[in-house]
Amino acid sequence: MTKIEKKFKELEKKKEKALILYFTAGFPSFYESIEIIKKSVEKGADIIEIGVPFSDPIADGPIIQYTSSKALENGINTDECFKLAKILKNEINIPYLFMTYFNPVYRYGITRFVERCVECGVSGLIIPDLPFEESYEIRKILKERNMNLINFLTPFTSEKRMRKIIRNAKGFIYFISIAGVTGPRKDLEEDTLTILKKIKSMVKIPVAAGFGISNVNQINKIKKYVDGIIIGSFILQKIIDKKIEEIEELIVEFKKELKV
Amino acid sequence: MLPDRKGKFGIFGGRFAPETLIGPLEELEKEYKRISKTKEFKRELNYLLKEYAGRPTSLYFAKNFSEYLGFKVYLKREDLAFTGAHKINNTLGQVLLAKMMGKTRVIAETGAGQHGVATATASALLNMECVVYMGEIDVERQKLNVYRMKLLGAQIISVTSGSRTLKDAINEAMRDWITNFKTTHYVIGSVVGPHPYPMIVRDFQSIIGKETKKQIIKKEGRLPDYLVACVGGGSNSLGLFYPFYNNRDVKFIGIEAGGYGLETEKHASTLLKGEKGVLHGSFSYVLQDNYGQIKITHSISAGLDYPGVGPEHAFYKDTKRADYFAVNDEIALKGFHILSEIEGIIPALEPAHAIGWLVENKEKFRKDDIVVVCLSGRGDKDVMEVAKIEGEL
Repeated sequence: MTKIEKKFKELEKKKEKALILYFTAGFPSFYESIEIIKKSVEKGADIIEIGVPFSDPIADGPIIQYTSSKALENGINTDECFKLAKILKNEINIPYLFMTYFNPVYRYGITRFVERCVECGVSGLIIPDLPFEESYEIRKILKERNMNLINFLTPFTSEKRMRKIIRNAKGFIYFISIAGVTGPRKDLEEDTLTILKKIKSMVKIPVAAGFGISNVNQINKIKKYVDGIIIGSFILQKIIDKKIEEIEELIVEFKKELKV
Repeated sequence: MLPDRKGKFGIFGGRFAPETLIGPLEELEKEYKRISKTKEFKRELNYLLKEYAGRPTSLYFAKNFSEYLGFKVYLKREDLAFTGAHKINNTLGQVLLAKMMGKTRVIAETGAGQHGVATATASALLNMECVVYMGEIDVERQKLNVYRMKLLGAQIISVTSGSRTLKDAINEAMRDWITNFKTTHYVIGSVVGPHPYPMIVRDFQSIIGKETKKQIIKKEGRLPDYLVACVGGGSNSLGLFYPFYNNRDVKFIGIEAGGYGLETEKHASTLLKGEKGVLHGSFSYVLQDNYGQIKITHSISAGLDYPGVGPEHAFYKDTKRADYFAVNDEIALKGFHILSEIEGIIPALEPAHAIGWLVENKEKFRKDDIVVVCLSGRGDKDVMEVAKIEGEL
């Protein structure tokens, strides 16, 4: 069992849903991003996604585009991200993943990238522009090292494709709850819950919903149908606005909502 | 015939797109295969290409230029196609396809504005809502084309993210498509992007090579020895090359933008200086740093100023079906002037790279060689820029 799988099992026993938070590595700076992650874990985050910045993030909205480009301007690169992860290894004891685009992984060398992940305690990878069909090699490499590649499903994934992805999915399913890029939305689309219900009936592994989630009201509506929720842009905006203390309150509030 | 079922040209191409786009891309592939075979689509597109866009464009024997070089050069006059470049071949095809797919809105990216204008034109004609994404820097540089698009009824969105040029306009158009795919078709302007785009754009641009083949046989009784074209994303060159793919005696030469020189960081020569990687949905050569971050390019010609290249070109390069070279801004300007002076044709700065390369490399050719150059666009759009560079304005 991977660290991610263990975490979900543990939460299930406690009848809790996972709070998964995304942070861009190196934003607003290398050490501040570490401090913010540590603080979030203290306040109740269950899993952390560390964004390894890419210059051309097509699946991301304006907030993550901004934090990524700022981090790159600050001199963050793949090696710095590994350094950051290695520091976290001794500081936090929940699973953390890398989320990035395929090109930085490919350029680093897939095997070399994964081996460094193992060294630095990274439990899995999320690569939004690497579709299932292109992921065979990396899934194999990850499996040998007891790590997970997280697969996506959306409300628009065909049923045939859904079955194919679900059959091979590991760790958890990342359910994209909206048509669109990352970034906060006020509400959820109507058919989201119907499709989530269907997916839940098809899968054995946990499902976490992300993209557009920003308030307790949405979490309240969706939590029955998922095993976790993912929040990124909404929290990053607070960092951009220099309202770090609000993040701590939000985490406590969100986590409370996720305890059944 | 390539691409294969996964959209691959050898190892290149594919569909490296976010999961949300996989459905729309599958739909596009299926609908393209179905609709493009129907009589109705073929008849309508042929009619528009002929009556509206002015095809076939002539294959002009450039007598003076041939004498200057010492071998026979024909110019495929895409500069005579409506809106002044080959871009219209693709946009008429794609906008018509979008309409027959039941979409009501199209989006496009543009660098200098040529593809934006061609998309806006096709959208005005076929009564589609049109939104064009353009980097903030390009909006500033290309005010006239921005106004042309507005005249044609398109909405221009100035992109302020990243390097604020073409690659960021593509990023933003993709984000729009991820959000609005139910109503919207994304008209990509070159043979780039996730499968099926490189195939669709190539197919629509192949009319360049198909016409050339017929025309050269009629004029010379044989196929040419060389096809020469500039390569940015690679649509005019692939349009010319592809129909000759199996004619192994016909050599393909692609000319990239060398900017200030390949030894500098300021160029856009992706095939010569790039490394394999993924940009904008396909696996190809990419100008990138050691960590896989995409580089900012430079070329005097906005149409070539792009850090990626179509996957089919990457395949042609690795299989040695085509040879690729680069010329600097300076040589492109030389080509721009020579063709203007001796043929009375002001070429766009993009094909001026191909012209300049021929001038610089004329000793490589034999007296009885026949060379076809794709004159992909006319130079009116660049006159102002060149005048500024040369201190005339």
